Amino acid sequence: MKHLKAINNKAQLLSQAAEQDKVEEVVAMNSVAGCASTFDPGWEIDAFGGVASLCQPMEADLYGCSDPCWWPAQVPDMMNTYPNWDDNAASTKDDWRNLGTVFPGDKK
Amino acid sequence: MMKQLKSKAPLALAIAGLVAGLSGCAGLESTAATGPSLAPGSEYMVMANRPSQLHVLDLQTDKLYKSCDVPGDFGPGTLQIAPDHKTAYILTDHYERIYAVNLDSCALSFSAKMAQQPNERAKTMYSMALSPDGKELYTIQTPVLLHPDRYQVMEPRLAVYDTAAGLDAKPIRTFPVPRQISVMQVGSDGTLYMAGADIYKMDVHSGKVDVAIPSRNWQRPLYAPPDVLNVWPIQTPQKEFTILYTTAKFADESYNMDSAEWIYGYFNIDLETGATETTDFAPFTEIYFTGMRSPKDPNIMYGVLNHLAKYDIKQKKLLKSANLDHSYYTVALNHAGSKVYVGGTFNDVAVFDADTLEPLNKIQVPGGDFAPSTSQVFIR
Repeated sequence: MKHLKAINNKAQLLSQAAEQDKVEEVVAMNSVAGCASTFDPGWEIDAFGGVASLCQPMEADLYGCSDPCWWPAQVPDMMNTYPNWDDNAASTKDDWRNLGTVFPGDKK
Repeated sequence: MMKQLKSKAPLALAIAGLVAGLSGCAGLESTAATGPSLAPGSEYMVMANRPSQLHVLDLQTDKLYKSCDVPGDFGPGTLQIAPDHKTAYILTDHYERIYAVNLDSCALSFSAKMAQQPNERAKTMYSMALSPDGKELYTIQTPVLLHPDRYQVMEPRLAVYDTAAGLDAKPIRTFPVPRQISVMQVGSDGTLYMAGADIYKMDVHSGKVDVAIPSRNWQRPLYAPPDVLNVWPIQTPQKEFTILYTTAKFADESYNMDSAEWIYGYFNIDLETGATETTDFAPFTEIYFTGMRSPKDPNIMYGVLNHLAKYDIKQKKLLKSANLDHSYYTVALNHAGSKVYVGGTFNDVAVFDADTLEPLNKIQVPGGDFAPSTSQVFIR
């Protein structure tokens, strides 16, 4: 955690648990619950540390990950923040060029 | 096409609401449909995809039978088939609304927004089930209050709807439930089974919750807690609620990861009898997102993600594995147990012989990705 700094409440609770040696009380979530801190492998490596069990091709998994805000760092969060990201790309395998990078908008 | 559908959807809903309001009847408004009514006694599969459609496949011919437009902005497309074998309930609008679509006519018969007050945002994480008589719909809503200066996370609630309540349905009962529940199924006695940290069972009249199968809190000596993916509430021909898990079994109390055995297993609830089981069935060598036992041989388990695999449960042995040309999330079998259908991700369903795992067919549907939609097989 040398180079990571907790800046929100959830991250501070995680740091606090580590400091108080309560890591054993932190349990994995059994299912995705939308925009939570998800650290399980899935985009960069699979559960075995390889790539054979990653979805193939990655487009096959794109909306499975953006719809429920599963990996909001890797794929835009379509659940709340970028619901229209797919407007010009009903099919990821055919329309992937229309799926652009997203940027935070100005505060309203 | 996308834009047309999106601009049409609110209008269709508004008209539907108006018609329902004027006549006192729900379900008079049809969404766009192609194809005839379903034929009683015939077997079908339904899936949903982008931009926002339901597709019915004929499992006798393995061809697209008909399509219905669904209002709203697609996602996730979780589906449940009602006990009448003609109404499909779909969770969509970015996890915020449930519609019921009559698959004979494509008419909407029910609609409910998960949020219950103006500043509330409520999501349903794949949790949707129907009572055995089809008169009640159960769903778990996870609400957040959007205050001007902060978001306030509220407790999740089980909401019970009268399925005859029309196109602006409100809950008739709500109960508190544990956090992190996703998929659900109902037993033939009306017990609601809910998969979360453990698999719970609820009395839908009193709200009393008990543990049906311990998952995170299982007490299996030398076993690590299981890892579970609960996203697809697949209704099986044999009326089972099956959920895969992976785990590690340590060699001894030194709990050495290097010598641990890595295992695939399944939780199962027989929805007719309420009998539960927790059974290891395979070494953990690759990921499967869904698994289903054969309707004709309960000792056979199929699993799918990057391969379609077939296991002998008692022998914990891989019997066959079929290559796939892309990942598929969902596995389903016909009632005879003779054909396996894999779907989800893109917009095709691949069909395999259940015995040999030889590819038989591929059914392409119009539109875009199924993504995490559920595949449901039923006989009309």
